[in-house]
Amino acid sequence: MTAPALNAGPIRRTSTVFVASAFVAAALATLMGGMLAIWLDFRANAPTRVAEDGTSIIKDWLKKDVAIPEVASNTMMFTFVIACVMAQWAVYAARRNDKSHTTLALAITMFTGLALLNAQVALWLQMDIALRTDAYETMFFAVTGTMFAIIVSAMVYSLVAMFRVLAGRTSDVDVLAGHALYWYAVSGIFAVLWLVVYVQK
Amino acid sequence: MVMTAAEAQTTAGASRTVTNPLNAVARWLTAADHTRIGVSLVVGAALWLVIATIIGAVLGLERFDSTAALVDAGALTQLFSLHRFALVFGVAAPLMLGLSVWVVPAQIHASNLSLPRFAALGWWAWLAGSLTVLVSYLANGGPGGGAQQYVELYLLGLGVVFVGLVALSIAIATTVLTRRNGQRLADIPLGAFSALIGAIGIALTLPVALGTIVYVWVDYVNARVAFGGAGFINTWLAWTTREPQTLLYVVPTLGILLDAAGRTARLAPSRQPLRGVALLGVGIAATVIMSSVTQQAHVFALGDTPFATLQSFVPFALFSLLPLLAPLVVILMSLLALKAGKPSVSGAFIASLFGVGMLFTGLVGSAAMHLDALGLVGTVFGEAALVYVVYGAVLAALGAVALHIGSLTGRALPDSPVILLALTGFLATVLASLPHYVAGLLDQPATAASGFDDAGFVGLANIAVALGHALMLLVVVAFGGLVAKSRRGAPVNDRYQAQVPG
Repeated sequence: MTAPALNAGPIRRTSTVFVASAFVAAALATLMGGMLAIWLDFRANAPTRVAEDGTSIIKDWLKKDVAIPEVASNTMMFTFVIACVMAQWAVYAARRNDKSHTTLALAITMFTGLALLNAQVALWLQMDIALRTDAYETMFFAVTGTMFAIIVSAMVYSLVAMFRVLAGRTSDVDVLAGHALYWYAVSGIFAVLWLVVYVQK
Repeated sequence: MVMTAAEAQTTAGASRTVTNPLNAVARWLTAADHTRIGVSLVVGAALWLVIATIIGAVLGLERFDSTAALVDAGALTQLFSLHRFALVFGVAAPLMLGLSVWVVPAQIHASNLSLPRFAALGWWAWLAGSLTVLVSYLANGGPGGGAQQYVELYLLGLGVVFVGLVALSIAIATTVLTRRNGQRLADIPLGAFSALIGAIGIALTLPVALGTIVYVWVDYVNARVAFGGAGFINTWLAWTTREPQTLLYVVPTLGILLDAAGRTARLAPSRQPLRGVALLGVGIAATVIMSSVTQQAHVFALGDTPFATLQSFVPFALFSLLPLLAPLVVILMSLLALKAGKPSVSGAFIASLFGVGMLFTGLVGSAAMHLDALGLVGTVFGEAALVYVVYGAVLAALGAVALHIGSLTGRALPDSPVILLALTGFLATVLASLPHYVAGLLDQPATAASGFDDAGFVGLANIAVALGHALMLLVVVAFGGLVAKSRRGAPVNDRYQAQVPG
């Protein structure tokens, strides 16, 4: 007697939203990677001149009277960690079908994004530089402005994910996993920007 | 004749749908199915091809006599730049992506794309962006343009075009990766595989150009101290319309030829001989091309010592010679497929074979550009290599349309006219490119219509190039006519239909 053949299980389809989120995140990473590469190139090739005292060489990149508010930039870096934890919490709660905690986690993620935007605006105001004089200012506003837009896109993702959960789609763990992946990627992108623009200057 | 109530209702519904043009327009505007989006992109690219061929012909005539001027000297820089934009972002990239959007879901047995609305966003963004770029050129914008607001509009349009192409690429790559319905990646048709590889390449490289546009735009509207004015836009962005980047856009041509060979030989995709070699060939070539995009040009120059020569040769061979293997491997595999099956003369195969052949010739030219001894940088040689690549993609696209149109219209294209058009297209490509290869060796400068000796071969070469572009225009119009006629004509037996999934 032969044992009856087992039925084939359902085809496991890879999550579309998760894969698409990964692609968008990778595209954003190359976008910012390219911008930072140009930044590093400009910084390396910035003109140099002999200082008035004749004893030192000055690189014309970041002006002496421009101070980068390190408190604000470091706070942004830590805030991204919080955003990632909250995004992952949303996945954890959704796996347990816990709608209220999922919603709360997504709401906090979104408001963390808002805090990041606030910090970025504060940083611009504290630096008090205008877009009129040199390459550093142009490139600083371009690169941080692009990061600002990327954070906004992550917040929109959080908002959409939250509405989906509120509307009852609590079992869409793949979407929330994609959302968490997106926040991880955005955090990683900011970490590189933070190191290049705010720490190394 | 007696009609049942259900039949009557169906007929009435159909006639309402057919006779109401507003319905048709609304359906097209809101379309999110892969066929409509894909075909819209292909038709859009065909219209841009008409523009590109006309500009190519005008530029050829302009350079025939370097003392006469058909075009205002102030507009020449923009015309050269518009020609490149039209060839690359008007034709090559959207044509290949459009074919992929149209064909890939059916190839992997999926009902639609994974992200149909995202793909629709990509199509509309490309259309809006490319029209914006065209308008900006017409109003004295673009690289080297004198009207500030239209230079800004150009940058905006270019950015929107890039966003559209990246969105389409992500939709295609996600579809192949998530909607294979249990098929292994190694088992999918080679056309879908090469579409995946090309889409990943575009999704990962064009965002870099988008970031550069942000820099250039911020600088242009403000201080203009870092990236220069309108005249320097191409310094930062020209890499997107030069090899090796352009080769990434046309990677799907390799899959088109392999599919055409398999279907012509009546072989199932899994029975393609040495299928693994073909997959590996396409994959490695695309990887090498993508990595060479990230590099500075590796020029091969003879050194003072054998070691110095070797040091120069190795990166040149890796980044310029290795990609040559891809079309060679693909042509070989397609011929093997024909040998393994029961082939007959096929328009789709011949057109795509010519297409990949032209791509190979463009790649050879691209490699030659990196030979220091030839001194080809800054000559028309580069323009010729680009025309080879783009027109090669167009020929392959003719083959793809001939191959797949049965799934769209239910009617096949007759083989004889397709073969005739493929041969004419081949002649047009050679005429539009080869003379400039020779003129480049004779030092005819690129992006200039004067300041060179137009006597002898160089003058004739420019006339031949103009004729080549005009001939390609005829081919496109004739092929469009053939497709339109086949839709209205009697059904022709689709010799590929047995292999069309679903």
